[in-house]
Amino acid sequence: MQTSDFPTEPDALGVDAPRDLGRTETVTRMPEDRAPRRRGRAWPWLVFVAALLGCYYAAISTHSFITWLDGQEHAISCSVVPGADAATGATGCRTAMLSTYSSLFRTSMWGGIPVSLAALGVFAFIAGFGVYLGLKKDLTRRDTGFLLLATLLPVGTSTAYAIISATKLGEFCTVCIGIYASSGAAFILALVGHFRAPRAAEGTPVPWGRWFLWFFEGVVLVGALIGIYVAVAPTDRPSVTKGCGELVKVEDEAKILLPMPTGDARDPAPRTPAIAVLDPLCPACRAFDRRLEASELDQRLSMQVLLFPLDSKCNWMVKSSLHPGACVVSEAMLCAPASAPRILEYAFSEQQRLLELGKTNEAALKADLEQHFPDVKGCVGSAAAKARVNKSLRWAVANALPVMTPQLFVGQTRICDEDTDLGLEYTLTKRLEAAH
Amino acid sequence: MNALLHLAPMLLALAVPGVMVSTWLGDAKESLAANVEATMTTKAVTASVAEEGYCTAELKQIVRRVAGACGLLGAQGRGCQPADASKVVSLSGEDFNKLFLPLQDRVRIIEYDMAKAELDEGAKRAVEAAWGDRGGASFFFVVSRASPEGSVEKNRELSEGRAKAVLAHLTERFQDPDIERQVGLLWLGEEFAQLQGNFCSWKRSREGEKCDEKTINRSAFIAWIDCAI
Repeated sequence: MQTSDFPTEPDALGVDAPRDLGRTETVTRMPEDRAPRRRGRAWPWLVFVAALLGCYYAAISTHSFITWLDGQEHAISCSVVPGADAATGATGCRTAMLSTYSSLFRTSMWGGIPVSLAALGVFAFIAGFGVYLGLKKDLTRRDTGFLLLATLLPVGTSTAYAIISATKLGEFCTVCIGIYASSGAAFILALVGHFRAPRAAEGTPVPWGRWFLWFFEGVVLVGALIGIYVAVAPTDRPSVTKGCGELVKVEDEAKILLPMPTGDARDPAPRTPAIAVLDPLCPACRAFDRRLEASELDQRLSMQVLLFPLDSKCNWMVKSSLHPGACVVSEAMLCAPASAPRILEYAFSEQQRLLELGKTNEAALKADLEQHFPDVKGCVGSAAAKARVNKSLRWAVANALPVMTPQLFVGQTRICDEDTDLGLEYTLTKRLEAAH
Repeated sequence: MNALLHLAPMLLALAVPGVMVSTWLGDAKESLAANVEATMTTKAVTASVAEEGYCTAELKQIVRRVAGACGLLGAQGRGCQPADASKVVSLSGEDFNKLFLPLQDRVRIIEYDMAKAELDEGAKRAVEAAWGDRGGASFFFVVSRASPEGSVEKNRELSEGRAKAVLAHLTERFQDPDIERQVGLLWLGEEFAQLQGNFCSWKRSREGEKCDEKTINRSAFIAWIDCAI
């Protein structure tokens, strides 16, 4: 036993106990050679916990993605609270998952390789590495420095994806927020742990070889997961090559197919004729349009739009108005074909408001369209405009199209519904290859 | 020992997600194989023309006969004359009119001046409104009549002129090549299926003006028929 006015021994987190120089205190001194080994050792364990949380969110995101590979719609887990029920219908998670940003190599593999799978691999590596450092006896900043660098990868990716969510998708996916938070927590804990860890002995060379080996291990781990995914993912998809039906009457005597220019019209590259069956106030059509645009494959198509409003005001095939006001917007587009691309873009971007107007005050919807597009004034609501919408619907009857939107025909072949979300880029690429 | 300390967590970090992902993928593969036929066959209803509940066999037979037997489907624009009507309809005038009772919401009655076959402005608007209200119908029926004043021959000509005035206005206004194939004319003169006064309460082009059994028969009865003909 001895009394001391020395600073007390750092605790396992590497944080010094408060000094009180005004009074003497009895402490048990540790042997000098053991002190550096304990210093900051708990921090890698905290990084492990944060990485484990990241693994959880990345795993549920990957699981949701994989369930859709069977071509069916499934509920998507969309809560930061572990164990919450999966959600169906429109959610930020669905928007994110179906967006072109959710996976890589989408044109060469149906659905592509989910980014969340790579995230799962990276978090698993950080968790494993955290355990290793937590157990390592001679932990120094040489070790924690690598852990810190490793946590920069999910932080950087999370930042990039948060920006994409805000600027491109306009929605945030709650599970993704869980991943962003886990990435941030792992980085902060690794940063603190690094500065709390003891320095390496003077003159110790930078262990490039060891760092390279660890980096290689991380790459192997992520690569192995991706390899498993590529090897086991379902590939037998007859729908991609066969499609889901053919157009039988493509003539457009009434000129109701509206051309939708995409990309640079001066580009001399050959384009494949395509017809999209859309309802201007259908959220699924808007999402489809955005996906197609983001894929940039629309620039290889000579696109025309067939309007098929799912609104019982003009469409006798639906018993109730799924998208009230869609008939009015369709009339406007058919009244002014030259303005149709702009009207469609306006309808997609203002969809929620226009739907509300269509439900409560159709005259106000008509006035809104006439204000933004003066060339439709006097035409919307006329017998001629109604007759043109009717012709559009009859084109669908003549071709016995399914009563649903969106639909996409490349050449005369209908892309199956299950190939218009995750598999859109892959299927479209295959159809375009077949067309040339 | 140090190597084991390093390898063990790394192997675990690979094994756990690896097993999870391959299990999920296996499930998706099985589900895809099980649904491959279902996914190729759309579950959505197919677009088709309307077929309303009032499309009785008798009504469809009459419309088909007007469309076919009277040469209208060939776009010859001849129409059915009163002489053909009895063969086409095979019903009493009263029973013929009864067939149209379920179409009350669809029908517009275009009214004419006595001994005239020209459409006034209200009539033109009513014809256009009726045409624009097509919905899923396949066939536009024009059944014109004349009130009993004057000779039978004169009234036959008059009702023919009234039916053709509707067709001429549609053709001029909409310039749609399909019109000739979609519009069926049946002119009845004063000889067959005169309307009773209760039809005055239906949608008329001269809403608010005096209506009786004479004026209601100086008319063309127009409607889209929501039947798959």
